[in-house]
Amino acid sequence: MAELKDRLSTFHGGLVLKHHKELSAGSEVTEVDRPRSLTISLRVNRGHVSEPVVAVGDRVNKYQIIAQPIHPFGVVVHAPYSGTIRAIEERPTAAPDAESAPCIILDTDDRDDATDYMPPLTEFNRQTLINRMREAGILGMGGAGFPTHAKYDHHTQDMETLLIINGAECEPYITCDERLMLDQPEALIKGTDLLMQAATASRAVIAIEDNLGGVKSLLDKTIKQLGLETIDVVKVPTIYPTGGEKQLIKVLTGLEVPSGQTPLSLGIIMQNVATTKAVYDAVEHNRPLTQRLVTVTGDQVGRPGNYLTAIGTPFYHLLALADCPMSEIDKLVVGGPMMGYPMPSADIAVDKTTNCLLLLTADSSKPDLTTLPCIRCGDCVKACPQDLLPQQLFWYIQGDDLEKARDHHVFDCIECGACSWVCPSHIDLVSYYRYAKSELTYQDYKKAKAQLAKQRHENREQRLEDIKAERQAKRRAKTDKLKNKSQAKQEISAVLDRLKNKPKDDGESS
Amino acid sequence: MTGQLNTSGSPHIPARFSVTKVMGWVLIALIPAIFALLFYFGIGLIVQITLATLAGYLFEWWSLTWRHQPLKPFLTDLTVPVTAVLFALCLSPIAPWYVAVVGMFFAIVVAKHLYGGLGNNIFNPAMVAFATILVAFPQSMSLWLPPTGLTQFGELQTIDWKHTLSIIFVGIQNSDLAVDAVTAATPLTALKTGLQQGFSQSEIVQGMVFGDFGGLGWEWIANWLFLGGLVLLYKRIITWHVPAAVLMTTVAISTPFYLFNADIYMSPQQHIFSGGIMLAAFFIATDPTSGCSSHRGKLIFGAGVAILTVLIRNFGAYPDGVAFAVLLMNLSAPLIDRLTIPKPYGKKGHP
Repeated sequence: MAELKDRLSTFHGGLVLKHHKELSAGSEVTEVDRPRSLTISLRVNRGHVSEPVVAVGDRVNKYQIIAQPIHPFGVVVHAPYSGTIRAIEERPTAAPDAESAPCIILDTDDRDDATDYMPPLTEFNRQTLINRMREAGILGMGGAGFPTHAKYDHHTQDMETLLIINGAECEPYITCDERLMLDQPEALIKGTDLLMQAATASRAVIAIEDNLGGVKSLLDKTIKQLGLETIDVVKVPTIYPTGGEKQLIKVLTGLEVPSGQTPLSLGIIMQNVATTKAVYDAVEHNRPLTQRLVTVTGDQVGRPGNYLTAIGTPFYHLLALADCPMSEIDKLVVGGPMMGYPMPSADIAVDKTTNCLLLLTADSSKPDLTTLPCIRCGDCVKACPQDLLPQQLFWYIQGDDLEKARDHHVFDCIECGACSWVCPSHIDLVSYYRYAKSELTYQDYKKAKAQLAKQRHENREQRLEDIKAERQAKRRAKTDKLKNKSQAKQEISAVLDRLKNKPKDDGESS
Repeated sequence: MTGQLNTSGSPHIPARFSVTKVMGWVLIALIPAIFALLFYFGIGLIVQITLATLAGYLFEWWSLTWRHQPLKPFLTDLTVPVTAVLFALCLSPIAPWYVAVVGMFFAIVVAKHLYGGLGNNIFNPAMVAFATILVAFPQSMSLWLPPTGLTQFGELQTIDWKHTLSIIFVGIQNSDLAVDAVTAATPLTALKTGLQQGFSQSEIVQGMVFGDFGGLGWEWIANWLFLGGLVLLYKRIITWHVPAAVLMTTVAISTPFYLFNADIYMSPQQHIFSGGIMLAAFFIATDPTSGCSSHRGKLIFGAGVAILTVLIRNFGAYPDGVAFAVLLMNLSAPLIDRLTIPKPYGKKGHP
């Protein structure tokens, strides 16, 4: 089973990037003031939509549930402030490609009436903790947005589990996890302890990058004070993408998550530090997940740093606070520079997975480079942390030979962007892989549907055929009977005999 | 608030490298060897490089025009000079001018643009050019100059730049020089003809054109090429796989032949230090477009180049077989690629 190795392993490829973390790491966390209105997305990332349980015009209290999941992988949504529901409508969200999703628009007020929607836990066991995660609407805050309770629901109790807390923020610029570890070590360690109980794990490891000075000693000291010696803090090399789930597991345990499966198949549960802190808040302070740390950084940002932001706060509110003049900004990226998504406007709002707003001027964002043909230099092969052949994938996808791309393991691509960055021909490789994946998934879906329809059709034909055959058989039996004259005569005489021999009283009685 | 934010895809930080930079570094890495060649064989190489580059750009511009491709990105990517220099390095410094021009026509128009331009060529353009003229103009390819250091014996004379130009542009027959007085065979040619005449290898390498451990002059050019190769390795433009496979396989294959009969088979050090194997190991077989992409594929590709080169040198009609070896392996590269798809993360140990 998965065990922590004394010596760290390495993964194939990876990049050493300029990390630009000094911009935002140093300053204290700023608490963002209450925005006048919030746009709360009812779908996070590529997840499932939750159903609103409030109507337009309703007044809600702080922490009141405003939407409930209709799918097991959806999450509960709470109101971060008291206020009035102005609208429930489709809006662009901070999801990839700023995809539109149903949003609740909440006009906040300063009455700040909070209701205890979550009573304190009286009993601490696996089930109550998992329930608390569900009630508090917690999901993976590192970016994936997978509902946290679902990870623990699925795991089988007879398996020895290793809990990994992911504090390796490998993308450049982002520092919200680092800040959280520095400011709230106790909450983090206690949260880790709670997650260990929920996972029935006997060991936990907090992984941080080796360029974070002071974090390890601080966490070690806190662990000692709290007497939770089953938690280890391990420094991992700062190589992008060490913080990727699969890469971090490889580094820590030397194991590889089997293709197409989750870390649970190795008995590993991985959780981001922000998520861990959210679980702690939900259990200790009975607070649902309604705010998070967001790094605001980049060029021209007057006050780069980390901001404690209510979920649903529009970007422009945050940017004004960070003293960022939008006139010179060319690109507004949600997430880091390698995997982040550019946003078309600053009216979009923070959601539960928004870890960073990165602002770039035209000079430092990708300049308008000419894309040249692939020269098969192999730099992408060297950089790929999944050990794929990116240029072959590109070749096949460009030639619309998607099945070949599948043979070359396109579905194992984690879209880290390492290949795109190193490409000397400046080809946007990751976009090709995203296209291939979605197209293949769609084709598979269509094929499965066609197969099902064909099966149904064949079944129906078979049924009709059977009925017809049955009918014909009956009719044939009847005609055969009539054809056989001697037998017919016998039957007729038999009937006549029966009539003759009938007792006489039969007629009287009728 | 600006009207429109840029929403181009990730990554959102400037790229590390460009094709122009890659090609630029290849050219820089070739500089030591170019100077060595100039030192040993005179100014002719500069003329050949200039001719090949000019002809290359002319053909590139012409091909891009009829293929309706944008001119600027492709004329500034430095791939033409790289092809031209690699090709010119293989030429005799006093080859007639039309040799370079015809060679570059085959390199740029036939090998590159007829196959779809940059990145789509199946064969290495410089090697296509070299193989073509090897077949088309065998005479001019066999006329090499004697390296500096030989001329002091008095039998041979060096030629100055005026004579060089007149030989290249007017022809050696029309100049006032005696052909035999200014030319000498390359070490590999000397070896081949010597063996054909019934001499043993140990006798032949006592000859004029041989140096301490390879061909005179050539051994040092090989060393400078090796240095240039190290630069490319350091800059991570090439990986170690192809050079290591080429050089180690050359030694591994030629040693048994040499031990079997040292009189008729070249020693491993002659294989490495005379002729084109060093150039091929670092600059030709490492061409990514016409080579293999996975690490295992590169090892197989390099080994194949070495095996074929040694076999052609030992048994073939041509003194050196590098160009044909590379072209044959170019043909096999797609198949090797298909058979060496690496197992990705999470699929190791699974079928």
